Amino acid sequence: MNAPLLELRNISKFFGNVTALEDISTRVEAGKVTCVLGDNGAGKSTFIKILSGLHKASEGEYLIDGEPVSFESPREARDRGIATVYQDLAMAPLMSIWRNFFLGAEPMVGPFMRSNFMKKTAREEMAKMGIDVRDVDQEVGTLSGGERQSVAIARAVYFGARVLILDEPTSALGVKQSGVVLRYVRAAAERGLGVIFITHNPNHAYPVGDRFLLLNRGHSLGDFAKSEITQGDMTKLMAGGAELEALQHELAQ
Amino acid sequence: MGGNMTATAEVGAPLETSDADRTDERIAHRGPVQRWLISPEIGALAGAVIVWAFFWGNGKTFGNAGSTLNWLDVAAPTGIMAVGVALLMIGGEFDLSSGTMTGASAIMVGLFSGHFMGEGVNIGWAIGAAFLTAIAIGWFNGTMVNKTGLPSFIVTLATFFVLQGVMLVITRRLALKVQVEGIDERKGYGFFKSWIAHEWTPEEFDLRDNVYVTLVAVGVLVFVVGLCEQAYRRRSGFNLTGVAMFVVGVAVALFAFSSLLHTDGVNDNVIHGTIGGLGLVMAVVGLARSRWHGRTQRLTEALPSAALTRLGIGVAAFVLALLVPLPFDRGNGLPILTWAKPGIRTLIAVAAAALGITLSVRALLPSLRSRRSPMDLLKNLTSSAYAGLVVMCGVLAVLQLSTVQALRAVAMMLLGGVAATMFMSARGIAGKHNTKWQLIIGVLMSAAVVAMALRVRADSDAVKFRTGMVGALVLGAVAILANTVLEYVMDKRTVGHSKADKLGRRLQFAGVLLAVTGQVIRLIYTNPTAERAAQMKADGIPVAQAVLRQTVVWWILITLLGTLVLTKSKWGNWIFAVGGNRDAARAIGVPANKVKVGLFMTVSVLGCLAGTLVALRYGTVQANYGVGLEFEFIIAAVIGGNLLTGGYGSVVGASIGASIMAMSGNGIQVTGWDYNGRFAFLGGVLLLAVLVNNYTRKKALQAR
Repeated sequence: MNAPLLELRNISKFFGNVTALEDISTRVEAGKVTCVLGDNGAGKSTFIKILSGLHKASEGEYLIDGEPVSFESPREARDRGIATVYQDLAMAPLMSIWRNFFLGAEPMVGPFMRSNFMKKTAREEMAKMGIDVRDVDQEVGTLSGGERQSVAIARAVYFGARVLILDEPTSALGVKQSGVVLRYVRAAAERGLGVIFITHNPNHAYPVGDRFLLLNRGHSLGDFAKSEITQGDMTKLMAGGAELEALQHELAQ
Repeated sequence: MGGNMTATAEVGAPLETSDADRTDERIAHRGPVQRWLISPEIGALAGAVIVWAFFWGNGKTFGNAGSTLNWLDVAAPTGIMAVGVALLMIGGEFDLSSGTMTGASAIMVGLFSGHFMGEGVNIGWAIGAAFLTAIAIGWFNGTMVNKTGLPSFIVTLATFFVLQGVMLVITRRLALKVQVEGIDERKGYGFFKSWIAHEWTPEEFDLRDNVYVTLVAVGVLVFVVGLCEQAYRRRSGFNLTGVAMFVVGVAVALFAFSSLLHTDGVNDNVIHGTIGGLGLVMAVVGLARSRWHGRTQRLTEALPSAALTRLGIGVAAFVLALLVPLPFDRGNGLPILTWAKPGIRTLIAVAAAALGITLSVRALLPSLRSRRSPMDLLKNLTSSAYAGLVVMCGVLAVLQLSTVQALRAVAMMLLGGVAATMFMSARGIAGKHNTKWQLIIGVLMSAAVVAMALRVRADSDAVKFRTGMVGALVLGAVAILANTVLEYVMDKRTVGHSKADKLGRRLQFAGVLLAVTGQVIRLIYTNPTAERAAQMKADGIPVAQAVLRQTVVWWILITLLGTLVLTKSKWGNWIFAVGGNRDAARAIGVPANKVKVGLFMTVSVLGCLAGTLVALRYGTVQANYGVGLEFEFIIAAVIGGNLLTGGYGSVVGASIGASIMAMSGNGIQVTGWDYNGRFAFLGGVLLLAVLVNNYTRKKALQAR
């Protein structure tokens, strides 16, 4: 079997004498979605920052295509195809979709942007995600939260992302919009990308994930393939035994 | 429909399904107009048209070539700066030192050449040094804002005061006065004046009016062809009748219009104008028939009663519009209140107050019902009384300010407007049900507009108003007739054709360019030739010289350059992004700090250009020149639709804003009102502009 796109082996991160992450292992394969689940303070942010090159791991190995890497900056990570879509999406609301799509990497002919190419590409890339943009000239501010997420995802994919890290893409969205975004997550994986989907909601994670890494207070509760765990088990693990009954009742509604 | 199939085959992009393409296509079809209607500068453009029309109606000479060159000249320095200030504002910052920057640069040009570097030094070195200083000041502003994170408001306010103080002190030390004189005596002054701040007085030439008419007519034709290209399906074959119609139509129109230039008789004008208009319609229809598919199916459903009702109201309003001026004396220049009898005056006041009270009570009704405490009731009653008072004062003020003459005109226009709206609406409804009725209503409407033109011509004593109004109405009638006939004989394209759409857009652009060129030629080549000037002098007619200054050319160039940078280059993209969401822009790799420093430097350099132009023009500069101008620049940018909080706006808008300000000043002068009143006027315009802009931006974010 080929080496996975991205693999973490026994990663730990210490800030002084605070342990943010300890002994975390997981991997991301092309065309698969790895979900990272954890409650607040579980270490999800530190996890993202290590992956995207903002922090270096204190211990352990970070491998891409089976070869160990050590990123000095987010730019290096991006050059290796690790793209992070943050919650705030990094978009200017009063700018059109196509301008936002190519922001910071505008294709030029002499002093001018290739605006026709940019519009066409933006529309096509969005279409590949399954979104019919009626008008790429419309401002991003007019889009719904889910559509905005999809612009950010499509943009990352177009600019050569191989591994897509999505930081809580559904946390600020309603039920329907979350569904829309989950479909894009799946669409991205089906196009051959490795996706890391970070969330605190097992209901969102289980339907789209192929692999689940469960974090709790910086420790791994386990790294499972979908066949090894049910949604119920996952919820149990995340909640811990005590409040289980009540929680199950709550989630059933 | 079979037509759909062939047209779908013409669409290039293989990726899109025909269904998706059709929805796309409809957007592209309506897109340009719709997008333009929510663009940032649309409010400013509407404002400019209103201000222009207002002063054109009120000031005798406003709108003629000399007066136009005059206000363009005033607008140019403000416009140059407004471009920079607008870019900076879109980037999310202000520069309060921009006004002083112009003054300081003018002073520097004077001081560096005469006092600093010693006598006999070429003024070119001084200009160069001033530009270098300006770049440094801009860099300082930008770097301070970036490094300290203070609001640019504070940083540039500091620069403003420092600059002003330093300039006053240095000027007094070196020039021993609070002004720098004798710049026009410096070495090299003539050279730089003729290259940077040239002045032209172009004289009229024989064929000027012919060139003007031809360019405008051809421009309109090309524009119409562009519209058709977007609207209709291309035909495969070649239609000889259509071509013949086109050729004959163009020949007739050109002949009629050129002979129009050589006739003076009123009746001749009307006859030639009508023939020319019909010729144009014929040419357009012929062209349409030769290039695009004609209509194959006509709708013959019964006309809905809504259309008939509207048609009825339209006819009634039209007849009223023709009759309403009769009871008023047309020569009556008295204010309406003075003219009305005392009893009627009281009646008007009471009615106005009642209207105000009714309106406010209606608005307050829900809260009156819900809250019953006596205090609330009292509060509501007081506000109703205020509203009544305000409306009464407003109505009385309007009546006192406007004359009986004006009332006639306004009544006529209002009724005419109602008639036009009703006709349009009826035609629109008919178009969906019955093609023949659509044609009938359209022809009726065009005839009504011609009748209105004849009425205005017979009625008005003001030559300028009469010529302009009649011309506009006749042109409108031609446009309506052409549109109606085209709607009748042609079939709308329902499927996309991106190449045709693009060609259509280009043709429209070319048409506008041609028409504007014609207008500009008429405007610029305006001074009488030497012989005619002598003749005029002998006849006792005052000869005023209209001067075109290079400042105006700079302004136009800089506006074009600014627009290109903002909309077509990546730096423009970055400016929008930095102003709209700075952290996001930086996170994605936009060099936000460099963009800001660049913007501050742009403003300073433009300030230096404006200052240099002032120094070269007048030869003397006051040390406090430019103080307070920064607000004019900001006002121009805001009127132009630039968002104070950044991330949205347009350079063209800022230039239009500068034009509005200059037009107001010039208009108020020409009208003979107190020139200081322009501040009040501008304040009102500013407030209105911001309201309109907020509205359009909200629309932009809601749209679709």
